Amino acid sequence: MISTASVHGIASMIIQVEADVSNGMPSFEMVGVLSSEVREAKERIRAAIRNAGYLLPPKRITVNLCPADVRKSGAGFDLPIALAVLCAHGIVPPQKPGHTLFVGEITLNGALRPVRGVLPMALAARQAGIRAFVLPVENAREAAFVKELAVYPAADLSSVIKHLNGQTLPEFTTINIEETASDLSAGVDFSQISGQYTLRRACEIAASGMHNLLMVGPPGAGKTLAAQAIASILPPLNEEEMLELAGIYSVSGLFAERKKQLYRRPFRSPHNSVTKMALLGGGRIPRPGEISLAHKGILFLDELTEFERPLLEQLRQPLEERQIRLVRQAGTYCYPAEFVLVAAMNACGCGNFPDREKCTCTPRQIRQHLGKISRPLLDRVDLTIEVPKVTMADLLSHSENESSEQIRQRVIRAHEIQRKRFAGFKISCNSRMRAEFLRRFCPMSEGARKCLAEAYEELDLSARAYHRLIRVARTIADLDACEEILERHMTEALLYRSMDEAAYRSGV
Amino acid sequence: MSVENAIKYVHWFSRIPHLSSKEKLRLLEIFADEETIFTMKENRLKQHPKVAQRTKEILLAARKDTEWEREYDRFCQSGIRLIAYQDAEYPKRLTHIYNPPYCLYVKGRPLSEERKCFAVVGARACSSYGAAVAKEIGRQLTRAGVDVVSGLAAGIDAAAHAGALEAMTAGRTLDERAPGTMTAEAGPGGGLTGDGLAEVGIPVAVLGCGVDICYPAANRLLYQKLARAGSLVSEFPPGCAPKKYHFPMRNRILSGLSDGVIVVEARERSGSLITADLSLEQGKAVYAVPGRISDSLSRGTNWLLSQGADVFCSVQEFLQEQGILQGENLAEGRKIEIPLEKNERLVYSVLDSTPKHFNFIVEETGLCLPQTAELLLRLRKRGCIQEIYQNYYIKISI
Repeated sequence: MISTASVHGIASMIIQVEADVSNGMPSFEMVGVLSSEVREAKERIRAAIRNAGYLLPPKRITVNLCPADVRKSGAGFDLPIALAVLCAHGIVPPQKPGHTLFVGEITLNGALRPVRGVLPMALAARQAGIRAFVLPVENAREAAFVKELAVYPAADLSSVIKHLNGQTLPEFTTINIEETASDLSAGVDFSQISGQYTLRRACEIAASGMHNLLMVGPPGAGKTLAAQAIASILPPLNEEEMLELAGIYSVSGLFAERKKQLYRRPFRSPHNSVTKMALLGGGRIPRPGEISLAHKGILFLDELTEFERPLLEQLRQPLEERQIRLVRQAGTYCYPAEFVLVAAMNACGCGNFPDREKCTCTPRQIRQHLGKISRPLLDRVDLTIEVPKVTMADLLSHSENESSEQIRQRVIRAHEIQRKRFAGFKISCNSRMRAEFLRRFCPMSEGARKCLAEAYEELDLSARAYHRLIRVARTIADLDACEEILERHMTEALLYRSMDEAAYRSGV
Repeated sequence: MSVENAIKYVHWFSRIPHLSSKEKLRLLEIFADEETIFTMKENRLKQHPKVAQRTKEILLAARKDTEWEREYDRFCQSGIRLIAYQDAEYPKRLTHIYNPPYCLYVKGRPLSEERKCFAVVGARACSSYGAAVAKEIGRQLTRAGVDVVSGLAAGIDAAAHAGALEAMTAGRTLDERAPGTMTAEAGPGGGLTGDGLAEVGIPVAVLGCGVDICYPAANRLLYQKLARAGSLVSEFPPGCAPKKYHFPMRNRILSGLSDGVIVVEARERSGSLITADLSLEQGKAVYAVPGRISDSLSRGTNWLLSQGADVFCSVQEFLQEQGILQGENLAEGRKIEIPLEKNERLVYSVLDSTPKHFNFIVEETGLCLPQTAELLLRLRKRGCIQEIYQNYYIKISI
């Protein structure tokens, strides 16, 4: 009995492989609801075993993978099936079920190739009480996150056979996550962005309270650069979040991307031609989409108006629920998707509005352009700012801009305050506060209350917009390390209010 | 036949396509009235010596139509009135123009000829400055008792209507505050209020489609307000969709109804200049709001000025020139000096009538971001500045 594991969503399940050799017509039968890549394993295994120097007698071989009612897919079953067959022939000693986990794809010459989803497998193994894990060398790093497991990376089939016959493989121990993974740089730094006070500040607030952000402005204003820079001011992930994210990347086969910067929050920017499957997660057995790969980090949608509208509408539910539930015939898959939506768009088709000298769009065209984004989606965006063109003075100025490092310190402090505030509640940041939390956690000074009431009247705000303002003001107060929301916090929050129709379009 | 019946046939006659207003009016000179044309024997019409063959065919085809009567009943019920050329309510000003409309459909208040009446027109894709100017002109003219006429298009037209409506509602709240000082019938636009305030004007919109259609649809709110507080006027029968060629036709009524035209912003060779031309042809005053020579939106108005149009520098001067105000000062709350503290004045001084982004203000004043936000909000509440789009501000004053 050989133990292995299959991946289901981002969870994993322990699978047992057994083989039987009997007299009869020589054949190789495999049973246990197998997908085609598992079924093809028999050809690879037969060649690999022969190339490892063992001859299988012409007998009837039956391999069973249990539990029999779970569909098995993926190439990781090659190694356990090969071992089960060798075990049945007495080439390797019988294995105690639940002692060692074997995973790996085998090539014809017997070499092991990496597989997807090793991290969830390792977590499942720990839960099942398995102590050792034999796997391809490339995957060793992922499995080593689980400290309770002895990880044995193997290069080929014969070294695994030797391992089981007493010639133990060297254990993978050189795990020092801190040395490389604590790197948080994003390639873009806020010191590269000159001027743009509102933009810089809005990014800081978005990062502090994990608020969704929409930037509206002409081409070349620095919207894309700013979005990338936000990734550089986000606080590092904690241990638990890091593992969760590593798991998502592991099942997507993208672990290598994160290996260098494990604690950095992800930044995903799918192009506007992205399909529904790629964005939300999809396939017959769905893999995590961009929104899950951006979990705990940033999903940046550049040129928001160019995305297909139905696609954007489908983001509404994950934005509310912080996860996506994909229902397929083979089962329901739930992937976390707690991302910060950062979006950028032009105010009109030609991009120059509100500069009437340059903008050639008719009012109708502008309305149509803005109409591409639905109200319900805009309602879920806490911060909206107009980004003007970069002025000549900004380009020429030599004044030192604040670096991401400095901003990040403030952001981390604000996160710390929020963590303390929401300790014992399900939420972790201001942007997730619902109405009942707002009453409880957002005490306002008399001035702030008055300011808000006046804005509510004057700007004809909706209840949603009203709550948005309080949430943003809460984050601004947190950045100020202020328990109470003061008037100056509220006036600043009003700067980033949503693109509400009446106010925005009056000039059109 | 009753008068009511006679007006029914005016509608029938008005909705006949392919006949211009001029041809229709000429036909009325030949025949006594519309009813005669509708009811006379087919042979007699066919043999009439003074009517062209083409016209006869059109008339005969129109007589076979049955839809018009139901249509007439329907729009009458919805409060739309039909004013025939011969009616007393038909504006005398319009009879003086070349090619006057054969009839007018009116929704809302009746048209008055006692008050002065000026058209405010301009570009649809106007600047925020232009919109602010148009709004202010609309507001102040209405307050001074002038009917402001415009075309309910986007941009300048909409802003002028909005300003006029604002002045009306302001007038109304004044009335409500002083009940008993006036008779119940005299709403805005009727008589003097107890405060000694002159009557306010009524906004008039001239449409290029039926008065029951709101075009462009984005002006729905404005349209509804105008239908309630002002008048909507069109020569096209209700249900008539806006066509491209309707708008130059609409413009002749627009200028015909008014004592003069004020062009706020116009590009070169734009529709607003057509209205100005028509106005000149009709022998009326043309005013243009001057602009910077570099602004393409002021090219048209500056061109008008170079061609001899009157310059529109301030509402005050305009009203005095037109004899609406005699040297007296217009009751005006806006011009009163508001005491500002040092930083407020600093922020205020950076702004002008073109939209300035928040970043620009921070840069110019050297103040920090939260402080600037606070100062801007305070100035906005005092009515000194306006946030024209998100994060863009202008000074309010003309």
